Amino acid sequence: MVTSLDRKLARDLWRMRGQAFAIALVIAAAMSTFVMSLGVHRSLIETRDAYYQRNHFADVFASMTRAPRSIVDRVRELDGVARAEGRIEQYATLEMPGRTEAIRAVINSVGDGGKSDLNQLVILRGRGPGIDESGEVVVDKAFADANGIVPGDEIDAVIYGNRDRLKIVGIGLAPDYIWAIAPGELVPDESRFGILWMGQKALEAATNRTQAITSIAVVLDRGAVESEVIRRLDALVEPYGGTGAYGRDDHPSNAFLDNELMQLEAMTRVIPPIFLLVSTFLVYIVLGRLIRTERQEIGLIKAFGYSSYAIGWHYLKFALAVAAIGIALGSLLGWWMGREMTTLYGDYYRFPFLDYRVSAPVFVTGGALAAGSAALGAMGGVRTAVRLNPAVAMSPPQPPVYRVGMVERVSRRAGFTSVGHMIVRHIARWPGRSAVTTFGVALSLALLFSTVQFIDSSRIMLNDFFFRAQQQDLTVSFIEARNEDVIYELAALPGVIAVEATRTVPVRLVHGPRSERAAIEGAARDATLTARIDADGRAVPLPVSGVMLSRLLAERLDVRAGDEVEIELLGGRRTKTLVPVTSTIDELVGTRAYAENAVVERMARDGAVVGAAQLKIDPAHRDDIIAHLNEMPIVLGVTERVAAMRLFEAMIDRNIITMIGFYVAFASAIAVGVVYNSARILFSERAHELATLRVLGYHKTEVATVLLGELALLVVLALPVGCFLGYWMAQLMTAMFSSDLFRLPFAPSRATYGFAAVVILIAALLTAAVVIRRVTGLDMVRVLKSHE
Amino acid sequence: MHGPLPDAHSVILRSHERAATSYHRSMADEEAPASKSAFNGRDLRKIYVTGETEVQALRGVDLDIAVGEVLVLLGPSGSGKSTLLNIIGGLDRATSGTLWYRDTELTALDDADLTRFRRANIGFIFQFYNLIPSLTARENVQLVTDIAADPMPAEEALERVGLAARMDHFPAQLSGGEQQRVAVARAIAKRPGVLLCDEPTGALDSGTGVRVLETLARANTELGTTLILITHNAGIAAMADRVFHFLDGRIASIVVNETRIAAAEIKW
Repeated sequence: MVTSLDRKLARDLWRMRGQAFAIALVIAAAMSTFVMSLGVHRSLIETRDAYYQRNHFADVFASMTRAPRSIVDRVRELDGVARAEGRIEQYATLEMPGRTEAIRAVINSVGDGGKSDLNQLVILRGRGPGIDESGEVVVDKAFADANGIVPGDEIDAVIYGNRDRLKIVGIGLAPDYIWAIAPGELVPDESRFGILWMGQKALEAATNRTQAITSIAVVLDRGAVESEVIRRLDALVEPYGGTGAYGRDDHPSNAFLDNELMQLEAMTRVIPPIFLLVSTFLVYIVLGRLIRTERQEIGLIKAFGYSSYAIGWHYLKFALAVAAIGIALGSLLGWWMGREMTTLYGDYYRFPFLDYRVSAPVFVTGGALAAGSAALGAMGGVRTAVRLNPAVAMSPPQPPVYRVGMVERVSRRAGFTSVGHMIVRHIARWPGRSAVTTFGVALSLALLFSTVQFIDSSRIMLNDFFFRAQQQDLTVSFIEARNEDVIYELAALPGVIAVEATRTVPVRLVHGPRSERAAIEGAARDATLTARIDADGRAVPLPVSGVMLSRLLAERLDVRAGDEVEIELLGGRRTKTLVPVTSTIDELVGTRAYAENAVVERMARDGAVVGAAQLKIDPAHRDDIIAHLNEMPIVLGVTERVAAMRLFEAMIDRNIITMIGFYVAFASAIAVGVVYNSARILFSERAHELATLRVLGYHKTEVATVLLGELALLVVLALPVGCFLGYWMAQLMTAMFSSDLFRLPFAPSRATYGFAAVVILIAALLTAAVVIRRVTGLDMVRVLKSHE
Repeated sequence: MHGPLPDAHSVILRSHERAATSYHRSMADEEAPASKSAFNGRDLRKIYVTGETEVQALRGVDLDIAVGEVLVLLGPSGSGKSTLLNIIGGLDRATSGTLWYRDTELTALDDADLTRFRRANIGFIFQFYNLIPSLTARENVQLVTDIAADPMPAEEALERVGLAARMDHFPAQLSGGEQQRVAVARAIAKRPGVLLCDEPTGALDSGTGVRVLETLARANTELGTTLILITHNAGIAAMADRVFHFLDGRIASIVVNETRIAAAEIKW
C-alpha cells in the first residue's frame, strides 16, 4: 500500500529531480566503474583459468640449448612433477611479399595434428600440422588476422639458417601465448611477430635436432613446492645449456596478464571509492537542506502521531531511492562498458574464447556499497529529523546567527562591499557544506589529474626508451654470438653510418644464500647508440670494470656497490665468476645487470662479443640494408626502432583518446553533481535575499554575482586543493599500478594540471549557468511576501 | 529609454535640496502643485494567469499622486492594493494602461530599465523587513548606498531612524521594531523620491509600529519623499493626505483628509 508519506517521497523526488539526478549520476559513476572493472577482472580471470585448465598450461618451464628427448622421462621422475613434455622452440625470420621490415616468428614443435600434452594448441580454422610434414604450420590468430593469412597460404621463412617454404594449414592459439612479444621489443606487434606450430619431426629436421628438444614444460603434483622442483629441474638440464627454470610468475605471457589484472584490481580499489565518497557528501548536504526546509512539516507530521522512526525511515528512503536510480543506471552502464572493455582485451590478448559475465555478487556488492554510502550520507539529516521535538519544529527556526569572523576583519580592511560580506559570511556560516563543495570539486579535479597524468608517464617512457636509451636505427640479433668480424662486415655495408656491438647473456647471480636470475647487458663503454637511463631520466655510464646492477636486483641480492657477486652463466660454458658490483642504477623496469663488453666476454670465454649489432644507417639505404640482413644466415632478427616507436606512440594515442574521453566524463560527473547541488541549495537558501537585492534595485547580473561569487570562490579554492590531492592520488595510483618488475615514471607535467583544472572549471561554469538562469526567473513579489 | 531617468533623478535631488531648506512639505505643494505630479496612471489593469484561472487584480485604475504626498491604500485582501504598489514600484508591470513617473513612462520600460528606476527612485518597506541576515544593520544599509548615485552615509540613515547605537548588530540581534527601522533606514538612505510601504507595521505591536510610522513621516517631511502606505489598519489612514479605498481591483473611493494627524498621535 502506498502511504501518504510515500506519496510525499515520490513528489519530493520529482520536485528535486535535478538534484536527485545529479547525485544519482555520481552514484552511477561509482557503480559503473565498480561493475566494469570487477566484471572485466573476474571475466578475465575466469577465462584465463578455464583456458589454462582446458588446455593444460604448465606450471614450470625450462629452456636449454639442446637436450636429448629422453631427458623428459627423467624430468617426469622428479619429485613433485606430475607431467612433463619437451618441445623445440625455434626463432625464425619470415619473408612476406611486399614487406621490407623484418618479420619474426617463434616456431614450436607439436605432435601429429597439432596435439600435445601440455600448453595445448587450439585449432580455430583448418587443421593441425602432420608430425612429419615438412613445412606444414599452424599460425596464431592475431598474426594471421594482422597479415591476412588464411589456411592454404604459403610463406617463405629462414629457419636455422635455411630457407624453407611454410604451408599454412591452420589458424590456432595456445595458452602459453595469450600475450606475446618479440624479444627486445617493448610493445607487442602482432603484424611483425608470429607464433607458429610445426610437426615435431618436421621441426627436428628443419633445425637439425633429431630426437632433441630445447624446452620442457612441467605440471606439478598437487602440493608440490615449486621452488624445489625448479631447483631439481635446473640441476637436471644444466649440462644441456639450461638457462634456468622458472614458474608461471616469470612466464612472460602469464606475468603480463597478471600485471594487467593487478592494475584492473587497483582501479577497482581507487576509483569507485572516490565516487562513493562524493555521493555520501552530496546526500549529506542535500538531505540536510531538505530536512531544514521541511522542519515545520516534520513537526506537523509528528504532531499527527507519526513516530520518529517513521520520519527517519521516510528520509532514509529518499536517499535510498536516489541511490537506487544511480545503482540501476550504473549497473547498465558498467555492464556495457565492461563488455566494450572485454572486447578490447580480446583484441589485445589471444584467448580462444572470452566470456564476459558479470556475476550477481558483483552487482549486489556494488549496489550494497552504493546504498550504504547514500545511507551514511543520510544519517546526519535523518538524525536531525528523528530528534526534532514537534512543538519546537512547528515554530519557525531561529534565524541563522552570523558573526564577524577573522576572515571578515581582513576583508573589511580590504574594502569589501556589502555583497562581498554576504558571500564571505555565508561560506563561514556553513563551513561544512562549503568544505563539501570545495572538497568535491577538488576530488573531481584530482581524479581527472591522477588518471590523465599516466599519459605523461607514457611519454616519459617513450622519450627515455626510444630517444635516449636507444639511438640506433636497427638492432640486428644473431643466431649465436659472433666475434668482432661481423661488426666490420656490417660497417662495410653501403649506408651504414655506425655499428656497435652489444651482448645480452642470461645469468644467475649469487650472493651468500641469495640468488637471482637476470640478464647481463653488455655494451662498449664508449657506445653512443645505446644508453642506460635511470628512473630520474639520467644517463648512467657503464662501469670500467665489474657490473652495475639495477637497484631492485641489488636489493634482492642484498648487495651494495663494492660487494662481490658470483655470476653463473646460464647456457654456454656455464662459467662461474666472482665479479665486483661497481654501481647500481635505479631503473623503472626489470632486474638487469650491465657491464662492459669485455667483462661479459671474460665470463662467456667464447671470444664472441657480439650478441647483437646496433646500427645507425642512412635512411636512403634502409630497404637495401634490411634486405641484405635478411639474406644473412647468421641473422636471427632485425628490429627497427622507428617501427617500434610508432607502435608505442599509436598505443599512447589510443589510450589518450579512450582515457581522456572516459575520465573527462566521469570526473565531470562529480563536478557537475557537486556544483549543481551546491548551487541549488545556495539558491534556495538565498532566494529571499536575492529577491531583496532585486527590489533594492540590483540588476540580475549583480544579483547573480552573489550566487556565482560564492560558488566561484569555493571552486577556485578547490583548484589548488585538487591539484594537491591529485598529485597525492597520482602517486598512490602509480605505486598501485607498479609491480616489482615494472614501475611507471612519476612526473606529471604542468599542462596536465592545467588541462584538469580547465575541464573542471568548464564543467562547474556550465552547471552554475544552469542554476543562474533561475535568478532571472526569480519572482520578487512572491518571495518577499512570504516569511522566510 | 535611458533618457528620462537622470532627469527624474535630478528632480529628486532638487526636491531634496528644497527639503533641506524647507521643513514643511506643504511648501512644495504651494510652489507648483500641477507640474509636481509624481505618478499619473490611466486605466491600469493587471490580469494574473495561473494555470487555467485568470485573476483580475486591477480592473482599470486611474490615479494622480503628487510629489511629497502621503497616501494610504486601504482595502480587504485581494482588492488590488499590493498589485498597484508593486506596479508603481516597478516590481511588476501592468497588463494594460499607462503609468508615468514624472517624465518617464514606466509601462514602457523593459526589465533592466525598471531595475534602474527602482535603484534611483524607490524605497521599499515590507511587513517582514527582508533584511539580509548575514549583514549588520550598517551593511544592510550599505547594500543601497553601494549602488545609489547620491546616497546619504549609512550611518546618517541609521541615525535618522534612531539606531545610531546598534549599527553593528546583525538582524538576529535586533528586535522586530529595530529590524523594521533598519529597513526604513535602508529605504531612505538613497534619498528616494518615493517610499512604498506594504504593511510596514503589520508584524509590530502598536508602540513599536508608531515609532516606525514616525520615522516614515519624518522622511516625508524632511526629505520631501512621496509616501505610499498599504495597511489594514484604518487608524493609520489619519496621517495621510488622501486615502484610497480599494475594492475588487478598483479604487472604490478617495477620502481627502482636511487635517492630518501626526504619526505619534495614532493609536490602535
